[in-house]
Amino acid sequence: MNESPTVFLVDDDPAVRDAVGLLLRAGGLTVEGFANAAEFLATDAVRRPGCLVLDVRMPEMSGLDLQKKLRNDGCPMPIIFMTGHGDVPMAIRAMKAGALDFIEKPFSGERLLTRVYEALAIDARDRCRQAQREAAATRLSRLSPREREVLDRVADGQYNKTIAAELDISISTVEIHRRRAMEKLEATSIADLIRTLALANDQAAR
Amino acid sequence: MSKPVAEPPDSGESRWPIRPLHLTLIGLLYLVFSLLWLLGGDRMLILWAGGATPPLLVEMLKDLLVVSAGGILLYLLLRVYGNVVRLRINQVQDLRLARIEEQARRTRDALENRVRERTAELLAINQTLEQQVAARTQVEIALSDSEERFRQLAEHIREVFWVYGIAEERLLYVSPAYEEIWGRPVQGFHERPLDWIEAVHADDRQRVHAAHVARQQLGSLDEEYRIVRPDGAIRWIRDRGFPVRDEAGYIYRIAGLAEDITAHRLAEDQLRRQQVELAQMARLRLAVELASNLAHELNQPLAAIVAYTQAGLALLRQDQADPRALTGALDAVVHQGLRAGEIIRHLRELVQKHPDARAALDLNTSLRAVVHYAQLELRQAHVVLNLELAGNLPPVLGDDIQIQLAALYLARNAIEAMQDAEEPRRLTIRTALQNSGMALVTLADTGHGFSADTADRLFQPFFSTKPGGMGLGLSVSRSIIESQGGELWATPNPDGGVSFHFILPIYGRRHE
Repeated sequence: MNESPTVFLVDDDPAVRDAVGLLLRAGGLTVEGFANAAEFLATDAVRRPGCLVLDVRMPEMSGLDLQKKLRNDGCPMPIIFMTGHGDVPMAIRAMKAGALDFIEKPFSGERLLTRVYEALAIDARDRCRQAQREAAATRLSRLSPREREVLDRVADGQYNKTIAAELDISISTVEIHRRRAMEKLEATSIADLIRTLALANDQAAR
Repeated sequence: MSKPVAEPPDSGESRWPIRPLHLTLIGLLYLVFSLLWLLGGDRMLILWAGGATPPLLVEMLKDLLVVSAGGILLYLLLRVYGNVVRLRINQVQDLRLARIEEQARRTRDALENRVRERTAELLAINQTLEQQVAARTQVEIALSDSEERFRQLAEHIREVFWVYGIAEERLLYVSPAYEEIWGRPVQGFHERPLDWIEAVHADDRQRVHAAHVARQQLGSLDEEYRIVRPDGAIRWIRDRGFPVRDEAGYIYRIAGLAEDITAHRLAEDQLRRQQVELAQMARLRLAVELASNLAHELNQPLAAIVAYTQAGLALLRQDQADPRALTGALDAVVHQGLRAGEIIRHLRELVQKHPDARAALDLNTSLRAVVHYAQLELRQAHVVLNLELAGNLPPVLGDDIQIQLAALYLARNAIEAMQDAEEPRRLTIRTALQNSGMALVTLADTGHGFSADTADRLFQPFFSTKPGGMGLGLSVSRSIIESQGGELWATPNPDGGVSFHFILPIYGRRHE
């Protein structure tokens, strides 16, 4: 969770890998290099914070193929493409699939570094949101079924009296459930409660 | 027809001595003698004396009776005789008549036979004649049928049907399609028999005329040529002729069909143009692919160089310059620079190290193929081609495709050089055998030529006098010819234009 972000660099050309690695490290970044897509997929890198700097043309699995696979697997890691000689349709395909940039070799180090910082920021934000969603879902799972029923109606804006009538329980019982649920969700206000519910729903929808 | 029947030579009168005159004489004699006997002697005297006594008279009457009786007897005798004679005569006459009749009958029979024979003959002749007439009528009907069919056909086909009379030395018939295709009236032929050749395109006229002279001997013809219609439109014609022989086997007429093949020709042109375009596109695709590969190959070390250098710069700016790290980066830069050079060198080798497809080849055949490829361009640019190919040229050593490509480049270059030149635009392709064991090919044009300062740069890559020209054609041609062990150079023509020459080694003479 507190791990520092890493730039994952995938390029089949060792010189490019070495040079770009050096450039990124000079920019104060942590870099891990991979010679092809399979090597990258074999590690747990996908689950770690960071971004992907990816060569388009590689033997066996191309950069575009790897992008597609990661998106299908639900991995949101930002991708910056590099290409020795790319054409417009290829660039369009990559960008449509959510790539952050499509950079032609040779490129200025500044542009790459700018894009990498951007990518890491996006990843961090994504990961933060993801953590919040997961936390909300965890807290929500602590509720008993009755507490959940009461809470859903509170979030809908119903009064305690209405809820008691609907669930055929006394108003004081509704109040007890409500207080317990708020405690379990660590919510201090109704607004807090609603945000937690929304995050948890987001997580459930993923 | 009938012969007169001959009179029998003997008649009854000549055979029988007694005739009516004789009979009359006999009668008279009897009468005289009987009168003499009656009145003779003394009785006459007594009478004369007047002494006619009754007894004398009685005696005289008696004598008269006897004489009368004798006369009657004689008469009867003669009568009988006459009858007998007449009978005989009749008999003879009957006999003769019968004979004559017989003869007449026989003659008649003969006559009849002959008439019959003759009639039969006539009948037979008549029949033959009738048959002939019938046959003739049939032929005539058939003829008029086929004439009708021919007329229908000749007047409705899209091709021009023509008949040329060798003895008459003119066209005897031209079908109405002539008006449609040539745009000239058919009647024009009767007034001006050479009307059709006047319509032939000036560039084809001589050839067509020669072919039509030759057809008189051969009796056949197969030519394609252009005609110019009165409205200025050009049509392509295919003209074919076939000999028509008489019974003795002599060619006395030539029948032919002239067909409008303009559409066909246009389609052919279109097809060839598309082929050329396709070939160009294929070449372009290949070039694009090659360029793409090359770019990718070269951009890798370039990217590495830029990245190393920028990393080094960043480290230096951050004042964290660890000399070892910088040395490593600089080493890598050198390495990547060399790598880029290596890629280019490799590419050059790839281009040069074409698999050696050199073999013995007939230069004239290769050049004819080139002319075929350039046909469309020649025609469109109105360039007249002269092929002066040496007949005794031995085979040369070379890669056929490479040499054709170089020759095609040169031919296209010549055609393009003549684009703004005045007509006649002429491209001459010549082959010759040189003493040095080389074959010489010359492509001479009548274009605008080149100036002294462009002469030096003519074969340099990317030098072009043409707008939009890449300036690679001549330099590529020269590298091709040189890779085949030959040489390529250019000389100005005395009367304008340029000649490009290349030589190639004769096969088996100086094999490298």
